[in-house]
Amino acid sequence: MINTAKIRKDFPILDKKILNQKDLIYFDTAASAQKPEQVISEMDNFYRQNYSNVSRGIHTLSVESTFAFEEARVKVQKFINASSEKEIIFTKSATESINLIAQTFAEKNINEGDEIVLTTMEHHSNLIPWFLVRDKYKCTIKFADIDKNGHIDKEHFASLLNDKTKIVAITHLSNVFGTETNSEILKLCNDRNIPVLLDGCQSAAHLDIDVQKLGCDFYVFSGHKLYGPSGIGILYGKEEILEQLPPYQGGGGMIADVTLDGATFTGLPAKYEAGTPPIVEAFGLGVAIDYVTEIGMNNINNHETELTKTALNEMMDLDFVEIYGTSSDKNSIISFNLENIHSHEVASFLDVEGVAIRAGHHCCQPLMKKLNVNSTSRMSFGIYNTADEIKVFINAIKKCRDFFKK
Amino acid sequence: MNDLLKELYQEIILDHGQEPRNFGTCENHNKSADGHNPLCGDKVHLSFYLDENDIINDIKFSGEGCAISIASASLMTEKLKGMKLSEAQSIFNDFTKLVKGDADTLEILNDEDSLYALKGVEAFPMRVKCATLAWHTFKSAVENK
Repeated sequence: MINTAKIRKDFPILDKKILNQKDLIYFDTAASAQKPEQVISEMDNFYRQNYSNVSRGIHTLSVESTFAFEEARVKVQKFINASSEKEIIFTKSATESINLIAQTFAEKNINEGDEIVLTTMEHHSNLIPWFLVRDKYKCTIKFADIDKNGHIDKEHFASLLNDKTKIVAITHLSNVFGTETNSEILKLCNDRNIPVLLDGCQSAAHLDIDVQKLGCDFYVFSGHKLYGPSGIGILYGKEEILEQLPPYQGGGGMIADVTLDGATFTGLPAKYEAGTPPIVEAFGLGVAIDYVTEIGMNNINNHETELTKTALNEMMDLDFVEIYGTSSDKNSIISFNLENIHSHEVASFLDVEGVAIRAGHHCCQPLMKKLNVNSTSRMSFGIYNTADEIKVFINAIKKCRDFFKK
Repeated sequence: MNDLLKELYQEIILDHGQEPRNFGTCENHNKSADGHNPLCGDKVHLSFYLDENDIINDIKFSGEGCAISIASASLMTEKLKGMKLSEAQSIFNDFTKLVKGDADTLEILNDEDSLYALKGVEAFPMRVKCATLAWHTFKSAVENK
């Protein structure tokens, strides 16, 4: 069990009154998590006491900044149990992490006629980078089917893998259904030695991640969904694969030797960190990792799974609510629609009640088409949410239904 | 019920959102455009016939979206039908100001106008795009040769 009352005191924004009257109920953590005081104040303090550029200075501040930056890398390495800190690349976002892999992996490994396997429920950030690769290298993308609960159809997935399959890129935890990708799916890829990229944007904040046990070759996530700052993303890649891939962006920090005729490149991880990196953001992510680690990822997972079950049970009793995916292994995310009410109306109505939810296509337009909806509402939970908040939410959607009744 | 919501979802908005007027495609149109709000997926198709005197003769729209975007499109077609193009463009400017909370500087529209029902959008900045989608589509139809 986690002490929600104590945790809530760490999040200053939870004191905010929406429209000056309603208590904030933040059910939009899947879009971005709120930040604890620890992250806010330690980043603030870093700017006041230690800040300088990293990796290239001699003076005290540069040393302090570099040390803190590299310490954050080790925190990330331990957090996902990577075998070396060289396998942790700091980027500006998970989206940049996927683009980095798509571009460099394709340059080295993908030729005309080769195949990439994705699923139909991927976030746009795990679709478009591969579309760009398809356009450039004239390869094919195959899409694995999913069932109505957001589980990948294992037989269909297996049927897509063949000798032409160069890489598989799939979500680890669906941002629409909240369902986790079954380890058997990864096993199918491992058995055929096909590299797998896991999009961990949703899973990193909810599950205890061990990239070695998962059997993925690449794992990406972002700091802001893990109670850390925006502007920092993580790319984990197996050292032996990253070593072989070409550079992504050129610039300072990633070179070994430069003449006017050319350059040689430095090793991992600096090879993929051209330019001044998001220094304080990386540090802030390290603080956030300390924060969630102290609470315990398994405790967080239990708390959020419990909330998800409570909300799901309450909502399934309401005949005007359609839920997308009702399997019991949902984690932290529930997508739904209220009968005959557009999700925009639901979101605006709930906003006035103090409840923040997401409305729209959730960057999954192909999936929305498959579900045959224009958009959905989505509620998602974090460590600070409570069962009492779900009660307020249930009352609010009842009021919303009454308000828009013809 | 909260006053802001009452302002946003006035009777006329709910009415036009559920039963939009001028829904469909003009058979004899010489201007048309598609509008799309990629952030939320709302779509609108607008077509109209601009006669030799620059009068908007017939005008219709189709599409899918939230109550605000549909009602706004519906009210817009009612307003623009039979109107001279230059006046329609002035109303475009006024309407944009109205929903963005700048109602004090309007030149033509006043609070007796049906479009004024969308003033409530000003309290919901994220919904301005819903309310102006049809209008931006109108503008791009005008600019389409």
